[in-house]
Amino acid sequence: MAIIHSRRSFLTAGLGVPVLASATRSFTSAPPQPAASHPATPKLQYRILGKTGLRVTTVGFGCMITSDPSVIERAADLGVMYFDTARVYQGGNNERMVGVALKKKRKDIVLSSKTHARTREEALQHIDKSLQELGTDYLDIWYLHGKSSPQQVTDDLIDAQQTAKKAGKIRFAGVSTHSGQPELMPFLMKNPNIDVILTSFNFTMEPVMKTLIADAAAAGRGIVAMKVMAGGFRKLRPGDPNYSKLKAEGGMLSALKWVVRDANVHTTIPSITDMDQLDENLRAMAEPYGAPDEVLLGAHLETIRPLYCRMCGKCDGQCRQGLPVADMLRYLTYADGYGQFALGREHFLELSAEHAAVDCRNCPGCTVECPHGVKVSQQLIRARELFAC
Amino acid sequence: MLKLVLSFALSTTALVAAVPQGPSLRCELVPGWSQQGENRAYTPDNLFEYMDGNAEGYLIYGFVKMTGISCTKGPVNLAIDISDMGDADSAYGMFTANRDPRRPSQKIGMGGQITQRRAIFAKGQYYVEVAANPEGDHTAALQEWTSALEKTVEGTSAPPAAISWFPTESLKSLRMVPESVLGLRLLKRGYAAQYDYGTAFLVLESSEESAAQVMQKLRVRFGETTPAKVADEAFQLNDAYLGRMCFFRKGRYIGGYAKVADGQDPAARAAALAGNIP
Repeated sequence: MAIIHSRRSFLTAGLGVPVLASATRSFTSAPPQPAASHPATPKLQYRILGKTGLRVTTVGFGCMITSDPSVIERAADLGVMYFDTARVYQGGNNERMVGVALKKKRKDIVLSSKTHARTREEALQHIDKSLQELGTDYLDIWYLHGKSSPQQVTDDLIDAQQTAKKAGKIRFAGVSTHSGQPELMPFLMKNPNIDVILTSFNFTMEPVMKTLIADAAAAGRGIVAMKVMAGGFRKLRPGDPNYSKLKAEGGMLSALKWVVRDANVHTTIPSITDMDQLDENLRAMAEPYGAPDEVLLGAHLETIRPLYCRMCGKCDGQCRQGLPVADMLRYLTYADGYGQFALGREHFLELSAEHAAVDCRNCPGCTVECPHGVKVSQQLIRARELFAC
Repeated sequence: MLKLVLSFALSTTALVAAVPQGPSLRCELVPGWSQQGENRAYTPDNLFEYMDGNAEGYLIYGFVKMTGISCTKGPVNLAIDISDMGDADSAYGMFTANRDPRRPSQKIGMGGQITQRRAIFAKGQYYVEVAANPEGDHTAALQEWTSALEKTVEGTSAPPAAISWFPTESLKSLRMVPESVLGLRLLKRGYAAQYDYGTAFLVLESSEESAAQVMQKLRVRFGETTPAKVADEAFQLNDAYLGRMCFFRKGRYIGGYAKVADGQDPAARAAALAGNIP
């Protein structure tokens, strides 16, 4: 809990003071940078993937929604060294496509896949199937897919990874996580069997994520970042007007650069659909994160800031009903920010009956004014709808 | 995942109200089965909570919402999910992306496939999945369920017309590509068919004019091209990754062949495909 309570500066702190200064500027104030057309020899940046010792490019390749194997093939030719897929993607079709695309490059690249198995037996079936579909004798990294708590990383599954490792089917064991990192990552750091952590990480996430990643890297874990673009999967998705805007303005590249600049992140796996996106992503290794990137991302944070509490505590004592507003917003953040619904609800249910019964819609007007623009009453209504049943 | 399902169930008041109702989904649809747990419902905002990163594969096909239930009969558990993909083309696209091209498809709705532990099919704007647990051959139960679900789900059972335009001889797989056909952003959305001798593709533009513009942009992108006599306009080229290619335009359609094997004529193959387009 100490980690969670320490996140005082919240979102924009991750970008530093210049972003705060520019946060009110429009998206259009930053001219879009045209994509370079097919650089023949892109500048590559390398890092060592923690204790695995594997050398990887800081920009890797998430293969899940790649439209054609030629894109993967070209990425490998250009020097991209990390490629990621999963057993479950497209019913196994994705592993087959990746295998075909990387057949000639297998020894030159780092290849990872994932299993969503819940038992040792099923996991060991999955690794054999993954190897068969990928057309390879081994995986460099094999992840337990989408874990959000230490309880989900069972001894059985760890044993399956170690069994596969001893059999030469995998070189290193990893865990992927989209949520629950404050509890899960410290657990993984202490587990000597875990070599690599694949975690969602992007510019909209709480600063505690940077700390967790730094701690995990210091503990020797290889760090692979996913969901590095688009402001986090819960907040922005294809079809969302903000997504289109951010994409059009070059914000995707800025978001990738924001992650890549963190030396504790060893590689990233942005989903790459086509050749154009590949070329754009490669620029994140050649171009430093700078002021234009801060403007773009800062402006985007402005669009989503009504959703985010920065935990400054200035709302305390403002509610005419006496609600512990800062605490209640924190409970909501457990659910929405960390994916820890149970934790949020547990705290909410500890409120007094009097407070739990308050419905903000019955107030003649909210007396709480957030200096950062959070629409407090809307968030409190959502917290009640989410937890009070 | 159970926690996430539970978390959803506990917040149904807010979320379910926001999700329009799709096809009726009840375990009693097939006698002998009973429901386990609450109904599931997901939108693009929270689909990740159900299936983690695999959700991206749904979103790219235009996912609108999903409703689901789990049904049990003895030791067998079925997870049944119906996804509204917005239109029939996208639903069929989801089916083509997720079927195993090495196994036969069945005539269930627009198209379906049943294996020992999984059944999928597309009908109208809906993509239906049934996953069976535990390990074992659940083909009979899956057939019974897909038959019942097919009657429940409304919408067309006719696959997109464009499917029939691809030559069927030596066809290994055919899928709808929701973005960037052949990995080229210029080719926004269409179909790709894999053959022993190459990859056929077809993209529908909004007008003849926009299709002609795309053809011109393709010429610029690839640089050295050679004109070909196919349909309204065509050209050939050799690309490092897409191999020997021929692009043609016929009205609003842009199609052709890529990665054509030695000894095969890309233009002749393209002409055959173009000839099938009405």
